[in-house]
Amino acid sequence: MNKIKLLFSLLVLGFVACTKDNYDGPTAGLSGRFVDAQTGVLVEQDIIRGTQIQLLEHGYDPVTPQFLIVKNDGTYENSLLFANSYTVQPLRGNFIEVPAQEVSITGKTVLDFTVTPYIRIQDAQIAIDGSKVKASFKLEQTVINNVKKIGLYAHSDTRVGEPMRLVAAEQELNAASDPAVIYELEIDLPSNSNNLKPGNSYYFRVGALIDVGEAKLNYAPAVKIGIN
Amino acid sequence: MISNKCKIFFLSASLFMAGCSKVMDIEPTDRLTAGVIFGDPEGVKVYMANLYYQLPIEDFAYFRQGFRWNSSPGTGDPNNGGFAPAMSTDEAAHSEFGDFLGNDDFHWWDNGYKLIRDVNLLIDEIPALKIIESERAALVGESAFIKAFAYFALAKRYGGVPLMRESQKYDGTIESIRVPRSTEKETWDYVMELCDQAINNLSESFDNRRANKWTALALKSRAALHAASIANFGSRAQMSGDAVTQGLVGLAAGDAAGYYTQCIEASEALMNAGRFSLFQASPSNPQEAAGNYRMLFQNPNGAGGEAIMIKGFAVPGNGTGHNYDIWFQPAQTANGWPHPGRMNPTLDLADLYESYDNPGHSAPLVTTTDGAVGDYNGYNASKTYIRFDTPHDIFLNKDARLWGTAVLPSTMWKNTKIIIQAGFVRPDGNAVIRTNDNITIDGITYYTYGAASTSQYSGFDTYGGNNTRTGFSFKKFLDEEYAVNPSWNRGITDFIEFRYAEVLLNYAEAVIESGQGDMAKAAQAINDIRKRAGHSVDIPLTVENVQRERRVELAFENKRFWDLIRRREFHTEFNNRYLHAIFPLRDLRALPAEKYIFVRANVPNTNPKTFEPRAYYRYIPGIGSNGLVQNPQY
Repeated sequence: MNKIKLLFSLLVLGFVACTKDNYDGPTAGLSGRFVDAQTGVLVEQDIIRGTQIQLLEHGYDPVTPQFLIVKNDGTYENSLLFANSYTVQPLRGNFIEVPAQEVSITGKTVLDFTVTPYIRIQDAQIAIDGSKVKASFKLEQTVINNVKKIGLYAHSDTRVGEPMRLVAAEQELNAASDPAVIYELEIDLPSNSNNLKPGNSYYFRVGALIDVGEAKLNYAPAVKIGIN
Repeated sequence: MISNKCKIFFLSASLFMAGCSKVMDIEPTDRLTAGVIFGDPEGVKVYMANLYYQLPIEDFAYFRQGFRWNSSPGTGDPNNGGFAPAMSTDEAAHSEFGDFLGNDDFHWWDNGYKLIRDVNLLIDEIPALKIIESERAALVGESAFIKAFAYFALAKRYGGVPLMRESQKYDGTIESIRVPRSTEKETWDYVMELCDQAINNLSESFDNRRANKWTALALKSRAALHAASIANFGSRAQMSGDAVTQGLVGLAAGDAAGYYTQCIEASEALMNAGRFSLFQASPSNPQEAAGNYRMLFQNPNGAGGEAIMIKGFAVPGNGTGHNYDIWFQPAQTANGWPHPGRMNPTLDLADLYESYDNPGHSAPLVTTTDGAVGDYNGYNASKTYIRFDTPHDIFLNKDARLWGTAVLPSTMWKNTKIIIQAGFVRPDGNAVIRTNDNITIDGITYYTYGAASTSQYSGFDTYGGNNTRTGFSFKKFLDEEYAVNPSWNRGITDFIEFRYAEVLLNYAEAVIESGQGDMAKAAQAINDIRKRAGHSVDIPLTVENVQRERRVELAFENKRFWDLIRRREFHTEFNNRYLHAIFPLRDLRALPAEKYIFVRANVPNTNPKTFEPRAYYRYIPGIGSNGLVQNPQY
C-alpha cells in the first residue's frame, strides 16, 4: 500500500513538473518586401549568402542576433517569432544602407523596406543562340563606386544566382559602368556539357556586383531556357 | 534511546564545528602544492614540461576537433575519420567526406586560457625562486615564449581577445575577473611584445626541443607576417558590426609596414646567425632531391640546421603517438588497418608545382593534344588524348617535391607498386571509368582499377573509402622504413614546428609585399629553396613566385589554411569551387602497346565548396557568461 502511494505521488510529481516546463510557442511573424525607391519594383536578391535582416529581440543582454534570409524575388517572411519589440535592420545587402528601426512584432506584422539598389540592371535579354546562351543588359549605378564584376549564372533551380550556380560566365569590370554601353556575356554549352545537359531546362540570371565592402549582387529576374 | 540520539547529534555537531575551523587550511597530502613545485628548480622543470605539452602546435595530432587528438586526456575519440586540416583547404580531398569548414572547427578558447593561466602562475613565482640570475632570465624568456605562442594562436582565430597580463585573483565578485576584449591591434602588439621579451631573455645556446632565442625569433617571424598580412589585405574582405567598430577585429592598412618590418628583422636575425641551413641544399638531380625532401620529414632529427623546433612523438601510445601512418597510407600498404588512404592530394596542388623545363611557372598537367587544361567535363571520345607509357610519365618533369609529397600512380612505396587507375578505354573508344568492370582481349584481362582485387590497388574504387579519388596518394611525413602498426596512436614520426625554409619564405614574402629589406637576399632565399628541390635556373622575386614556392614547399604542414585566412584569399579561392582529380586510364585502343591517357575531372562524388567571409574569425564561445562582444555575423 505504501509503495503504491509512493508510486502515485512520484507520478503526480512527474506530471506536475512537465506542465510547468511548457512555454507558449512563437505566434507572431514578420514579412515584407524590398522595394526600389525610384521604380517601385521588387529588388532581386539571393536566398543563400544574400541580404540578411538582423533582428535583435529586446529584453536580453547580451542578445544573440537572429538573421532572416530574403527570397530571390525580394520578399521575406518569418512566421515563427515571439511577439515582442525588436530592433530590425537589413545588413550586407545590395542597396544603400538603411537605418535600424524599432518594430513591435505582434500577430502577422508587415514591414516593407524602401531601398536604393546599388545597381539597376536594365533591358536584360537572355536567349539561346546556336550552341551558346547569350545575355545582354545595361547598367545604371546609384553610387560612385566601381562595378566589381558582372556575371551570367545558370542553375537547374529557380533560385539561381552567384552563390548558387552550376556554371558562371563572369567578367571583372573594376570600373564605373557606362549607362550607354550594352554589356554582353555568354555561356558555351558544349564545353559545359557536364553541368548543362542537353534535353533539360535551366534558369539563367544576370547580375552585377558593386565594389562596396560586404555588398551583394544586384540582378535581373531569372529566365528559363531549354537546351537541346 | 533518545539520549543516544542526542549524544550522536552532539558528537556530530561538535565534529562538524571542529572541521569548520581549519578545513580550508589543511595542506592536501595527495598532491603537490605551489610552494613545493615552485620551491624546487626540478619542480619548475616538471611544471614547464606540462606547459610545453599544452602548446598549440599544429602537428600530426591537430585536427578540426582540436589539439592533441591522439587520446590525450580531455580529448575525444581519435577516430575522427582522418579528416585532416589540409582537407579544409585546396591541398587535399578526403577519400569519403565532403566536409569543408564548420563553425565549430579549429577552436582553441578554453584550453587557450587554461594554458595562459598556468603560465601566469609560473610567472608570478619566478621573482621569488631561489635560483641564479641567468636561470631566472631563462625562465622569464621561456614563459614569455609560451605565452606569445598562446596569444598568437588566439589572435589568429578570434582577433582581439582579453589580455591576461598577470594572473587573476578572485575576490568574490565575478565582475573583477571579467576582462573585456582588447583590440586586434593591441593583441598583436602584445604577441610582438612577448616575443621580444622571449628573444631578449632566452639564451643563444641551441636546443631544437626547447625554447631559446632562435625559436622565439622564428615564432616572431611567423606571427609578424600574419599580422602584417591582415593589415595589408583586410580590405579584400570588409566586415561590419560592433566588433569592427570597436576595433576588436581587423587592422588598419597603415599597420602593415610595421609588422612587415618586424618579420624582416626577426627572419634576418635567423638568416645571419650562421647556424641554420637547408637540409641537403645541393642535390645532384631531381630524384635525389625528392628523396632528401621526404627524408627531412621522415626523420626531422637528421635535418641538421633546418629544424629550428621539433615536437617529438617519441613513444607509441595514447597522448604520445599519432595516427598519420594509419589514416594516410595507400590502401595496398595498410598492413591490415581497415581505414587507410584518407589523404588525397588534389590536382589543384599538383598543377602548381613547376616543371623543370619551364622555371618560374606553374605547370598544369596537359592531357590532350589541344593543350587545354580547363575542361573538367570528363572523358570525351572526340578529343585526342596524349598517350603515355606509364601512369606516372605525365609527372616526369615535375618538381621533385611533388614526388616527395604524393605517391604518384604506379610508383614504388614500401617495395610495392602502388596501382592508381580510374578505368580503361575499350578498343572501340568507349571508356569505362570508376565502374567495376573488366574486359578480356587476346587472353589477357584488363580491370577498371588496374588489378583484380581490392587488396591489389589504391585508387578510385569506393570500397571502404580506402582508395584515393584524386589520383594521388600521400607520403610526406610517412615512414617508409616500417610496416604500419595497425592500431591507434602508434605513429612516432616527429614534427618540425619551425623550419628554416619557412623563415626564408616569410622573409621573401615580407620583402616583396612591403618593399622593405633586401630584394636580392629575398630572391636568393626562394631560389635556395628551389635549388634544394633540384632546380638550376633562378627565378625573379615576385608575389606570385613567392606564394607558389610557399605552397609547394610547405604543403601539408598546416600552413595553407592560415595563409588563405591571413591573405584574405579564402572567400575568393573558395567561391563555389570544385577540387580536381586526374583519372589515369589504360588505353586499350593502343594494344598491343601499353599506353595510358589522363582525364582531368572534378573530384568524384563531391560538391562545390564556398568559404563564408565571417569564418575569417571563429565565434567567441560563451558570450552569455563572459559578456564579450561577439565576432561579426555570429
